[in-house]
Amino acid sequence: MQPFIHIDVANSEEVIPLLDARSRPLAGGTDMLPLMKEGIVAPERLINIKRAGDLRYIRADEDGLHIGALTTLDELDRHPDVRRDYTTLAQAAAEAASPQLRNMATLGGNLLQQARCWYYRGDFHCWLKGGELCHARDGRNEYHAIFDQSPCVAVYPSDPPAALMALEANLRIVGPQGARLVPVAEFLQPPSAERRTLHTLAPNELIVEVHVPKGPSGSVYLKAMDRATWAYALASVAVAANIRDGRAHNVRIVLGAVSNRPIRALAAEELVEGQLITPELARRAGETALAAARALEHNHYKLPLTRNLVAQALRDIMAG
Amino acid sequence: MTTLLGSSLPRPDALGKVTGDARYPGDLVRPGMLQLKVVFAGRPHARIVAIETSAALAYPGVVAVLTAGDVPYNAYGLIDADQPVLCGDVVRFEGDKVALVVAESQEIAAAAAKLVAITYENLPAVTDPRAALAPDAPLVHQHHGSNVLGYVPIRKGDTAHGLAEADIVLEGEFSTSWQEHAFLQPEAGIAFVDDQGRLVVETAGQWLHEDRRQIAMLLNLPVEQVVIRYATIGGAFGGREDLSIQHLAALAAWKLRQPVAIVWSREESMIGHHKRHPISVRCRWGATNEGKITAVEAEVIADGGAYASTSIEVTKVAALFATGCYEVPNISVDGYAVYTNNIPAGAFRGFGAPQAQFASEIMVTRLAHALGIDPVELRRRNIYREGSIEPMQEPLPPGVSALPVLERCVTEAQARFQQAARRSDDHAPGTTTFGTNGITSHLRRGIGIACGIKNIGYSFGFPEQATATVELHGTGTVEHAHVRVGAAEVGQGTHLALGMIAAETIGLPLDKIVMITDDSSEAPNAGSASASRLTLMAGRAVQDAAVAALLAWADEERPAQATVQFRPPATTPLDPITTAGRPNYAYGYAAQAVEVEVNTLTGQVQVLRVISVHDVGKAINRQQVEGQIEGCVAQALGYALMEHFQMRDGHILTPHFSTYLLPTALDMPTEIVPVVLELADPQGPYGARGVAEMPLVPLAPAIAAAIHDAVGVWLTEQPMTPERVLMALGAQQTKIERPG
Ligand SMILES: Cc1cc2nc3c(=O)[nH]c(=O)nc-3n(C[C@H](O)[C@H](O)[C@H](O)COP(=O)(O)OP(=O)(O)OC[C@H]3O[C@@H](n4cnc5c(N)ncnc54)[C@H](O)[C@@H]3O)c2cc1C
Ligand code: SF4
Repeated sequence: MQPFIHIDVANSEEVIPLLDARSRPLAGGTDMLPLMKEGIVAPERLINIKRAGDLRYIRADEDGLHIGALTTLDELDRHPDVRRDYTTLAQAAAEAASPQLRNMATLGGNLLQQARCWYYRGDFHCWLKGGELCHARDGRNEYHAIFDQSPCVAVYPSDPPAALMALEANLRIVGPQGARLVPVAEFLQPPSAERRTLHTLAPNELIVEVHVPKGPSGSVYLKAMDRATWAYALASVAVAANIRDGRAHNVRIVLGAVSNRPIRALAAEELVEGQLITPELARRAGETALAAARALEHNHYKLPLTRNLVAQALRDIMAG
Repeated sequence: MTTLLGSSLPRPDALGKVTGDARYPGDLVRPGMLQLKVVFAGRPHARIVAIETSAALAYPGVVAVLTAGDVPYNAYGLIDADQPVLCGDVVRFEGDKVALVVAESQEIAAAAAKLVAITYENLPAVTDPRAALAPDAPLVHQHHGSNVLGYVPIRKGDTAHGLAEADIVLEGEFSTSWQEHAFLQPEAGIAFVDDQGRLVVETAGQWLHEDRRQIAMLLNLPVEQVVIRYATIGGAFGGREDLSIQHLAALAAWKLRQPVAIVWSREESMIGHHKRHPISVRCRWGATNEGKITAVEAEVIADGGAYASTSIEVTKVAALFATGCYEVPNISVDGYAVYTNNIPAGAFRGFGAPQAQFASEIMVTRLAHALGIDPVELRRRNIYREGSIEPMQEPLPPGVSALPVLERCVTEAQARFQQAARRSDDHAPGTTTFGTNGITSHLRRGIGIACGIKNIGYSFGFPEQATATVELHGTGTVEHAHVRVGAAEVGQGTHLALGMIAAETIGLPLDKIVMITDDSSEAPNAGSASASRLTLMAGRAVQDAAVAALLAWADEERPAQATVQFRPPATTPLDPITTAGRPNYAYGYAAQAVEVEVNTLTGQVQVLRVISVHDVGKAINRQQVEGQIEGCVAQALGYALMEHFQMRDGHILTPHFSTYLLPTALDMPTEIVPVVLELADPQGPYGARGVAEMPLVPLAPAIAAAIHDAVGVWLTEQPMTPERVLMALGAQQTKIERPG
């Protein structure tokens, strides 16, 4: 590991002036420290924000849910309001990583988790790291994308953000010029030649809050894994909807771990909007959601898997 | 016999292990010791053009950078010495070692390791064992002339005739993946030269005297000048049979005459030690309408990786068990251990038997289905009995308990699985359950059964012995005893079991037995902690030595002492022409029944119940036997369903536990029922044979059969991940939609 300077700050205001291209905030450190140990990132300064108490809160009011960026995944999962009114988010947090990690991992850090692609995490100077070539595209790619959005086929690995997208959440981001509010759906973008990251945060910006508008009547998060727990998603689905008179309104369907970013399945949403979702309609919605998907050499299973998860999530939502 | 044998005495090492008092090799590191860091090749195949160490040597705090030229005899190996300690001309896999940095601290060693500049000229790599067999394949070892590390033929009868006799012939193709031992304690150790000028290595391993032999050889030292001591060992499972760091510590300490320490990280452990062999099996099985298996032809290809390790021995075991525990009159098996530029493969609990019987057990069940015979009944009609003729044309060693083990498993399964099915929240196997909305549920249950066989002790003429010394002390009567036996306690409980055998034989309470076991200069050679052999082999040596010491005591010898070397009936090397002989002197027999639930939406398989039946001859310590069964089922479950070590073009893609997934508590069955039969083995102490590996043999094929029972598809690739289950279900769907 490269030597670095560690700076403690007591509140979020102190952070901004310290941030630049060579400094990174340190929250739970559950992604940052492994990346530094492997030599994948090497910041010169770590700005430890763990003690910035003003970033750690969950507040539910008539405006919806306000979550400080330092809130841990464990706190999200345990919060009674989150569980009741924003179920998909609580479930996504609960299904992420292990209890030890959830005690440390913050929502802000989770939004910024780097690709888990094994080439990226290994000793390969691949395209996302600034190199020329994506090794996964023609290499081993069973855990990679089925929606092609950039030269990189890594999937966006975090669970909670897919739920946040289904809930149409926004981020409050502060930089030297002041604050901006940006939907999670815009914040997460496929990487480009100039920006080799899965998000659009500038180096001198800090995520301070996640705002979730008043929740729909029902929401759910389904995650498929290679073992019963403590694993990354093979695929996941977040669905939110208002169920009135036995019909689904305002349906939002988000697919996770299938592309560089969580994907809204707009055509499938349209298909079920205002409908009584029968098992047959749920099945068709699954097919519609995956119509544009294309498997790589080793991940054909993701097509039926994601289809099945969409159909099951819609059935679950109807069952309440 | 007293009540001592068979009782569930608590493990003397348990408390220290759970409180943190136990001292593992990493805990032996002391301030002032020099620290070692390995420079790995990081590429699958290359010629070394130049090694430039000056920058690393100039780094403050670096004491030395050792390379090939510093190794007195630069070749080692458990069977064939084909592996360089430090590579000088060619590297053959990613984890090959090229240089060893010795520095004042771990940080300095790690920083300096990056400064060792090695110029390589990459060579074409061969990473698929079938491709490696092609005549024009790049050679992993130029001087070896081919990539065939070992060819293992087995012939019995006439398969052409046997297949012609069959009413039905089925073909199958199976593959398994590497498995990582994933012991809790990554490799570590210290080494120093003591005041008698002896080189002492304190570490973890599976065989004191073999580590000593190999280290003495590569340093050109007489064996007496090398002392190996084992600290508390945090698991082994075969993964510590090959040298990993022991010889590196020895080399540095001897060269520099200074105490040194080496502690590997998990990632270094993952790329630094061998794995279980991926094996592919292609086979044809023939049987008559009456359910008699008439012939088996099989090709067994094992990816041995870059160095020999125990690959040839593993391939022999796999080839021998290509027909499982069934008496087949006509057999033709061709086994190949193949060199590739992948990570070396070697010993791992089961040693070739699980891979072979994943194929053979599935083939037997498929034959039963095709013939319309119950799979258990087909097994009964063909299973080994006393006097059955083995693939190598001679009768099995006496003590054949395959059939009683199977029958007991069937009885237990009938009682327990039916009972389970009657419970209100449960459903009968193979049925579909219904959710609240009348929607067909996606959870389907099935049951499966499989048998297993595994040799106890070394096979095919490998020299087999265990030696123990017993000293009886006292004035009027025997008051206490010292038992010297160099048997490695890798967590299996051998020290307690051997102590109990000594106490029983001598007639002393257990607390009057002092075990001396962990120092190659203090305890005689008992052979390795492997092949499920210590209870039988070291147990007999201790028992016989105790009997002899009692005789000496009766002759008024004070203290009375006896050393006995126990040798079991000899086995014979594989004769490549006749392939006739006696491969083994004892076997363990197992049968398992499992119940699974398959999620047809996600492909996930949850194992609900496992019944694991074993003939252990005599349970010396019942709790330990049950512990071995339960622990082994956990390891077998991971192997069957999720542990997927992956390499691509010679690069390891899964060096972390975030990508190499081990089972969690939630993946474990709600119920594991260990069933212990005690049908005495004629060789073993008080009839005991081994048990440590057997539960790993039948589990994967039993799960495959249960998945088939639940959803009607056969999985033939291991691990049976959700991805593979979903793909198999998809292929089945396509077949139904487009018949023909
Ligand atoms: C073994 C393992 C398994 C895991 N499994 C899962 C899983 O199944 N699902 C899942 O969703 N996640 C999983 N994770 C990821 C885990 O959830 C994330 O690592 C964690 O959420 C990151 O939060 P952190 O606070 O530790 O971030 P850190 O590691 O501290 O930071 C991560 C990045 O975010 C930046 N950062 C942090 N906070 C802010 C902020 N407020 N503003 C601006 N930048 C910030 C840091 O500078 C850094 O670049 C797993 C991680 C591990 C190690
Ligand atoms: S998928 Fe992305 S992260 Fe993985 S190798 Fe390709 S470019 Fe790199």
